[in-house]
Amino acid sequence: MWAYAGRRLLLAIPTLLGASIIVFAMVHLAPGDPIAAVMPAESSQAEIEATKRAYGFDKPLAVQYLVWLGRVAQGDLGKSIATRRAVILDVRDALANSLVLALSSSLLAFALGLALGLLAAFRQGRALDKLASAIAVVGVSVPHYWAGIILIIIFSVQLNWLPAMGAADDPGVLPYLRHITLPTVALALIPLGVITRVVRSAALDILNQEFVLALRAKGLAARRVFAHVVKNAAPQILTVLGLQFGFQLGGSVLVEAVFSWPGTGYLLNLAIFQRDIPVLQGVILVLATFFVLLNLAVDLLQTVVDPRIARH
Amino acid sequence: MAITTARPDELAARVTAPMSYWRTVAWRLARDPATLVAGAVLVLIVLSAVLAPWLAPYDPNAGSIRLRLAPVGAPAHLLGTDEQGRDMLSRLLWGGRMTLVAALTPVVIGFVLGTGLGVLAGYVGGLTNTLVMRTMDIFYAFPAVLLAIAISGALGPGLPNTLISLSIVFVPRVVRVAESATVQVKSLEYIAAARASGAGVRAIVRHHLLANVLGPILVFASTQVSLSIILAAGLSFLGLGVTPPAAEWGLMLNTLRQSIYVNAVVPALPGLAIFVTSMAFNLLSDGLRDAMEIRA
Amino acid sequence: MRRVVILLLAAVLSLSWTDPVLAQGTLRIGMTASDIPYTGGQTDNGFEGFRFVGYQIYEPLIAWDLTRGDRLAPLVPGLAESWEVRRDQPTKWVFKLRKGVTFHDGSPFNADAVVFSYESIKKKDAPHFDSYGSGQVSFRLASLTGITKIDDHTVEFETNKPTSFVPYQVCYMLIVSPTQWNKVKDWRKFAEQPSGTGPFRVTKFVPRERLELEANRSYWDAKRRPKIDRLVLLPMPEPTTRLAALRSGQVDWIEVPPPDSIPQLKGGGFSITLNSYPHNWTHTLRLDKEPWSNKLVRKAANYAVDRVGICKSLLNDTCTPATGVVYKGHPWFGKPKETYDYNPAKARELLRQAGFDGVTKRPARAVHLISTSGSGQMLPLAMNELIQKNLKEVGIDVDLQPVEWNTLLTRWRAGFKTAENEGLNAWNISWNFLEPWSGFGRFFHSKAVVPVAVNTMPYINPEADRLIDEAERTFDVGKQNEILARLHELVVDDAPWIFVVHDQNPRALSARVKGFVQPQSWFVDLTSVTVR
Repeated sequence: MWAYAGRRLLLAIPTLLGASIIVFAMVHLAPGDPIAAVMPAESSQAEIEATKRAYGFDKPLAVQYLVWLGRVAQGDLGKSIATRRAVILDVRDALANSLVLALSSSLLAFALGLALGLLAAFRQGRALDKLASAIAVVGVSVPHYWAGIILIIIFSVQLNWLPAMGAADDPGVLPYLRHITLPTVALALIPLGVITRVVRSAALDILNQEFVLALRAKGLAARRVFAHVVKNAAPQILTVLGLQFGFQLGGSVLVEAVFSWPGTGYLLNLAIFQRDIPVLQGVILVLATFFVLLNLAVDLLQTVVDPRIARH
Repeated sequence: MAITTARPDELAARVTAPMSYWRTVAWRLARDPATLVAGAVLVLIVLSAVLAPWLAPYDPNAGSIRLRLAPVGAPAHLLGTDEQGRDMLSRLLWGGRMTLVAALTPVVIGFVLGTGLGVLAGYVGGLTNTLVMRTMDIFYAFPAVLLAIAISGALGPGLPNTLISLSIVFVPRVVRVAESATVQVKSLEYIAAARASGAGVRAIVRHHLLANVLGPILVFASTQVSLSIILAAGLSFLGLGVTPPAAEWGLMLNTLRQSIYVNAVVPALPGLAIFVTSMAFNLLSDGLRDAMEIRA
Repeated sequence: MRRVVILLLAAVLSLSWTDPVLAQGTLRIGMTASDIPYTGGQTDNGFEGFRFVGYQIYEPLIAWDLTRGDRLAPLVPGLAESWEVRRDQPTKWVFKLRKGVTFHDGSPFNADAVVFSYESIKKKDAPHFDSYGSGQVSFRLASLTGITKIDDHTVEFETNKPTSFVPYQVCYMLIVSPTQWNKVKDWRKFAEQPSGTGPFRVTKFVPRERLELEANRSYWDAKRRPKIDRLVLLPMPEPTTRLAALRSGQVDWIEVPPPDSIPQLKGGGFSITLNSYPHNWTHTLRLDKEPWSNKLVRKAANYAVDRVGICKSLLNDTCTPATGVVYKGHPWFGKPKETYDYNPAKARELLRQAGFDGVTKRPARAVHLISTSGSGQMLPLAMNELIQKNLKEVGIDVDLQPVEWNTLLTRWRAGFKTAENEGLNAWNISWNFLEPWSGFGRFFHSKAVVPVAVNTMPYINPEADRLIDEAERTFDVGKQNEILARLHELVVDDAPWIFVVHDQNPRALSARVKGFVQPQSWFVDLTSVTVR
């Protein structure tokens, strides 16, 4: 198992490096002088010179990349053009907010998805199955930003129950919960659909195995069948959960845009319109790294749950 | 997430008698009510998009500012007017064209390029395989939404840039599926026998390999259409895709957002269109998968 | 089990409790800016930055009287008690500073602070030079070339030539605390713990999210000490977000509510304040490149825009049509020859005269940089879509490129001739005409070409130069107004801009906010406001 873990870790490194190359290249994709992409227009000559030295803009591209990579490894993601704060600070704050949203949304999607998926599998072909599957298909098909707008229309505009934007201004758990409710629901819809479908499919696979059918025919207690299903479906469920958490973290841009939730998505959106390339680079790199590490963790966790996987 | 194709014996059965297999698939498709309804809805949507120039009652860009935000059922405007006074029905029809083009093109490109690359990597194996697959891994490291936004953000708005960025999102995914399917089929004794009998690589690929890997790849590609629609419209929603005054469902959702306090129904229409189209594609791809007995 | 159910019920019920507890006397404002304006002295984000940050934390030597709404806001003594130009040397102005004023950090306000602040903007080699802040405001102080400390409470400004415009430039220079700066020796750190003399002081600064201020109880003007305890500023660039926040009670005051929601807001007990102010919303055209290098095409564009449609139908009467730099009734309006009413037929005729038939021969395609929101920008996306359509209908094609507001300002100040801006043909920026230099001088004088000031077009007209110079030399307001009226007629005829509308500065306030007087100005006085 450790050999497998070691191999996966080793594989993750070139992936991360490749991702970093793409992110580095963004500075040179943007129109205009690369220095203009990282410095505000009214910078003094001294500041421009200092930045040129720090980025190594006069050196060949490969050297520039290595210099940039070295700084990134030390946690220096450059300075935001708009706020002139260290990018790492902005990204850190935004990431915290996005993590909270992704976690709460994952909890909702996982709990409901697991319940619905298992329900559908154990009641296959019957009304409950059809209902659960219908909910799942709706979940997967709905554009979550539209769902967010609809939620705002219903709960904020018409009923005035819940706030429509941002994280809470007043301190306290309750205001925060009120603010996070609508974005959580909107972001949870697609993962809910996916998880339900995967859980249902995985559970059905196991339930339809011959020896399980035989055991049920022989009258094995429902609770034990249930436990068996859950245990054997666990690897697949874990995988999809990990992937969906990654989707919610990296893909929260659209929901954060609708609700003005101050997370990485909101930061990304703002940075695009501000042409703030250092922030863009920082956010994407951090999110990609997170995603790669998350996938790695999920893979490793899978081998713990089902050691057979490690062998291939 | 790897697609595991059917069991070897099923695969062998499919390989040896391809014609009756596809006929079986078609028969199965026709018997599933959900798939039929979805298919019908899709045909309607695609037809209305293709025939938009003739079906639309007005020019999608024409309108009087004085008639803005008319509600559904207003005289002369069946589905109301938008915030600039343009007819919603016409814009939804034309918008469907734009959205479908923006969403389907990258999937098609992904399908073609991805199959090519994936089959190559799967069949040739060795260093080529490692090179291709590890490169695809790098792009896979980014969640789809993030990658699309990052590339669009750097390139700028506009339909061509959207197509580029979404294609870059989908090609790696198809490559993975294609490579995995190729590897599985390649290992069949049938292929080894063909090779032993001296059949050329191109003949093997064309006659035996492609016919059998296209199935799972097609199913996978069809599951990606819904995501592509949501992404393409989402990019326009953020201001990164199609630019005003073009009619496109995501862009319409964005510009109408301001108006939800005045008239809640009209702003919801473009999103409803995205939702229905996306769901129809999902149901269809589900049906296809069930009919082909592919387990995802 | 029952306990769980009760707990769940309680949680659900409490979620629907909509009226949050608030500190009395806290005013929460939703701004159109997408980030907190720069707090390090010379603020950014345009005049919205001045309005809520610059003029609240800091003060200039000469300030605006914002207490009345029935007349254009005039200049009054701020941190300077009096000022006058020296009779013997008309390029020197002597300012007598107010005594007994302290900064938020406790240090005294004196001539050293004024010199320090001036140098932070103008003296590039000074250790306390603020390159960012300087970039924001330096062009507004174009005539000031030097400063001397006469004594602890007297300074003398030097100008490049005799000019009556000095007070109108000095009012934009905010005074920062040298003592505080010397503690941190860095403008970014200073911005996190700012120190000025203004009626509010910063207590909490969360970048991109909120700025919290408290009343300055030791503010020097006892009549204008704030009646509220706390001021909270929240960036909300999306109009629907602002509206939602106001309706749900998250904020008490929003800038630029979505015009469509105004009837609803009024019905819901909110008040909408409107007033005219020296604002125009334009497309500032690039004059050295096709298509706008052709005067006939520019005039045609001005006849193609449906201004009444914008104001009545799109913006619910929160603006008035603009057919020039200033509005009719303003002392500088004069009698321009062109009326620029909505006349697409005339527009097409003008284009035909220019050689374009609208079918096979159309003017070159133009690319206009617009913003997504921002100070004075009103509802840029919707308005620009309509203008784009209007222009297309007469045969002029325009592509719109939206960027964030502060980004637009940065690119504008650099001018059209940078690599990034080379492909552009216009900026959509709202301008002020608070005084002659802001209204005309910085745009229409040949000496104001970038980078000295912001004549980016560039507009070169010797007659305009002559009129501006004459106005600058004239210290008599009546005569000055006449000269500027002639200048206005000239500019309207030349059509270097597409004139669109004058904003009426709509704001929406909750019923809890009382005591606010909306002045005829870009700025506001928050010290008279109370929040129940």
